[in-house]
Amino acid sequence: MLNQRDSHCRTRPLSNVWRIGTLTIALTLLSLFSPFSVRAADQAAATSQFKTLDTKIQDLKQEVLELNRDLFVLEEELLFPASTQIAVFLSVDTGTFFSLESVELKIDNKTVTHYLYTERENAALHRGGVHRLYLGNLRTGKHELVAFFTGKGTHERDYRLGTSLVVEKDADTKFIELKIRDKQQKLQPEFEVKVWK
Amino acid sequence: MTLRSFLAARILVLVLSGLISSQAAAARSAEPRVVKDPHYGEVLFYFYQQQYFTALSRLMTAQHFNQFQHHADEAELLRGGMLLSYGVHLEAGRIFERLIAQGAAPAVRNRAWFYLAKIRYQRGYVQEAEQALAQIEGKLPAELDEERQILHALLLMQRGEYRAAADLLKNVAGNSPWSRYGRYNLGVALVRAGETQPGIALLDQLGREPAQDEEMASLRDKVNVALGFSLLQADRAEEAKASLERVRLSGLMTNKALLGMGWAQLSLNRTERALVYWEELRQRGILDSAVQESMLAVPFALGKLGAYRQSLERYEEASRLYEQEMTQIDQSVAAIRAGKLSELLLRDDTSEEDGWFWTLEKLPDAPEARYLVQLMAGHDFQEALKNYRDLRFLIARLDQWAHDLPVYEDMLATRRAGFRERLPQSLTAARERDSAAHKEARDRLRDTLARIILDDDAEALANEREHDQGLRLARLERLLERQGSATDPDTVERVRLLRGLLTWDQAVAFPARRWEAQHSLQELDKVLDDTRSWREALSQARETMPREFDAFEARIQALTPRLRALQARARDLAVAQSAHLGELAVIELTAQRERLATYLTQVHFAVAQIYDQSASETKEAPAP
Repeated sequence: MLNQRDSHCRTRPLSNVWRIGTLTIALTLLSLFSPFSVRAADQAAATSQFKTLDTKIQDLKQEVLELNRDLFVLEEELLFPASTQIAVFLSVDTGTFFSLESVELKIDNKTVTHYLYTERENAALHRGGVHRLYLGNLRTGKHELVAFFTGKGTHERDYRLGTSLVVEKDADTKFIELKIRDKQQKLQPEFEVKVWK
Repeated sequence: MTLRSFLAARILVLVLSGLISSQAAAARSAEPRVVKDPHYGEVLFYFYQQQYFTALSRLMTAQHFNQFQHHADEAELLRGGMLLSYGVHLEAGRIFERLIAQGAAPAVRNRAWFYLAKIRYQRGYVQEAEQALAQIEGKLPAELDEERQILHALLLMQRGEYRAAADLLKNVAGNSPWSRYGRYNLGVALVRAGETQPGIALLDQLGREPAQDEEMASLRDKVNVALGFSLLQADRAEEAKASLERVRLSGLMTNKALLGMGWAQLSLNRTERALVYWEELRQRGILDSAVQESMLAVPFALGKLGAYRQSLERYEEASRLYEQEMTQIDQSVAAIRAGKLSELLLRDDTSEEDGWFWTLEKLPDAPEARYLVQLMAGHDFQEALKNYRDLRFLIARLDQWAHDLPVYEDMLATRRAGFRERLPQSLTAARERDSAAHKEARDRLRDTLARIILDDDAEALANEREHDQGLRLARLERLLERQGSATDPDTVERVRLLRGLLTWDQAVAFPARRWEAQHSLQELDKVLDDTRSWREALSQARETMPREFDAFEARIQALTPRLRALQARARDLAVAQSAHLGELAVIELTAQRERLATYLTQVHFAVAQIYDQSASETKEAPAP
């Protein structure tokens, strides 16, 4: 009997399903036509809860940042007092003729750091970032600082070059910057050392 | 990518590129840039790697040590920008407000307000976003001004002022990067404002434009589905069909388009064709709401065609599947309520502090996550998840400090003990070197030298050889004197000559020896002064160092409870945030279950109707 056509039998269930279809259309339109979520009271409550939590999380983040700063300050003053502190920075100016891979830093003939640069760090250096390569302590007086740069020069040639400087450490903090620059005339990199303070 | 998440991403790119426009411009032009303070460059080093927490910490530490002598304002602006990117927009707002109050240039001020408005909007703070937008005076640069208009329109739409939003969006140029999104919103705003025809015309135009990339193709699909469903609602099925046909066969909107095509064909009384679309849809994943609906639509169409047996079979199949899915949703809800969702979602997250741009791209394969595709696409859920992820990072950071602080305490104790141990020895050594006897000896030397200089006493500064010669000559002179007249005149003359030579040599060397003696005396003074300074420094250190040690200890002791309190708060918030995520998921799952329940009710109703009808027909049929 079920395969027999009957208009009465057909009409009522069909109309219910059709209502589902029109409801779908309306709901789809609502979701597509609104860049914002408008799903009833539950959603509103959830949004309100999100805001409450978000405000608390913001406060927490701010306080953790402040604590982090205070801890960094404590760490620096405790471990690297100004009277003995020396910081060595590294920067890359343009860097067309040299792609940095690593730097070895020696102070008074002793290796204090050997740093390998990631692609991401290299990109940050090329955009103007400056890397604090070393933070340590030195007694007052003269010290020899030697840096060896390893990387690729023009035409993918391996490159290793050193630069040195004698620094006079006094009672103030000493900031030294190792700069990698392009030497246009020779199409080669050059390494410059700058004493900031 | 939803419009909202697209906006979020674009907003940050522009916020950050704008905030550090000088760096960005320099990077673009490849001109050498000048970082005048190395510590500012160090902040940029981490900022460019999107390590905002580290960059912010370095920046704030450098600010404490006053290490930004040349970049003080830029650093503060950058801090504001990074806090925005780190989701701390309230403090960022305070920074911008302070910069504005301090008399920043109007261009900087306007930009600050604009970025602030966008981030507030992005975080769902609509009223605050409007307040910030209202602070902009005059026009922003052309590109930013278009964004401002889009943002303003979105805020108006949020308040239901569609007509005003539409008026505003008419000003957005067609060729700007914001154009398509702006026009989409304009179309939506017009339809919502009741101006259906112009709205539909605009969406139709947008739905026909070629798409250069996946993002634009997705937007076009969305436009065409929106347009198709609008036309369906307006009983313009033929036009709806044309619009839905433009949707790609594989994309996020494909299922919705197939469903709509079915309804369009049905409206045009082409039931067999409607079945083709819905049968295709039925083969797809049951988790999609369009697929779920097709399970109902197919038997509905079969019934319309008079194929009641097949229709009944499909209804029964749909019923089984709906019940099965509802059971699975119940299991998912139970698993989520057990609190496993947050950690599960971040199970494969290995990055540390990618911050703003981070979004969960893929759901893990687990019952809790199975039904959350829809939720994952939502802004609120992604934001909430990002906050949870940030909390995890903060907890790890705080735990690390909790490990380090006792180490500093130990280090301080060791230093204090070492100082106590070495100080007495050093003081004894300093006292010995700085004794009165040494000073008296130095005074005697000074008096002697003064007398020598006053008397021109060259002999007093004779060297050892001359001194010996002088002694020997004196002995000879005494011998000659005792011999009297018996002395050989030649010998007397030779001794006299030698004495003369010695006196001459000493007189010639005297000025140099005098200078040398004076210089040595000065050096001796310096040594004695240094010794005194050393002794004084040691005496001072005996007083000050314990105080310094105490100060460090006090700082560590003050930091420890702060650290502990923050650890506890971070953990509590992580639990609350995790619960919130679960709640969002449960809301979504409940809605999905309700939809399935509605479908199931319709199935039961349709099946009952069919059986009922069948029974009544059997009853009415004449006996054979």
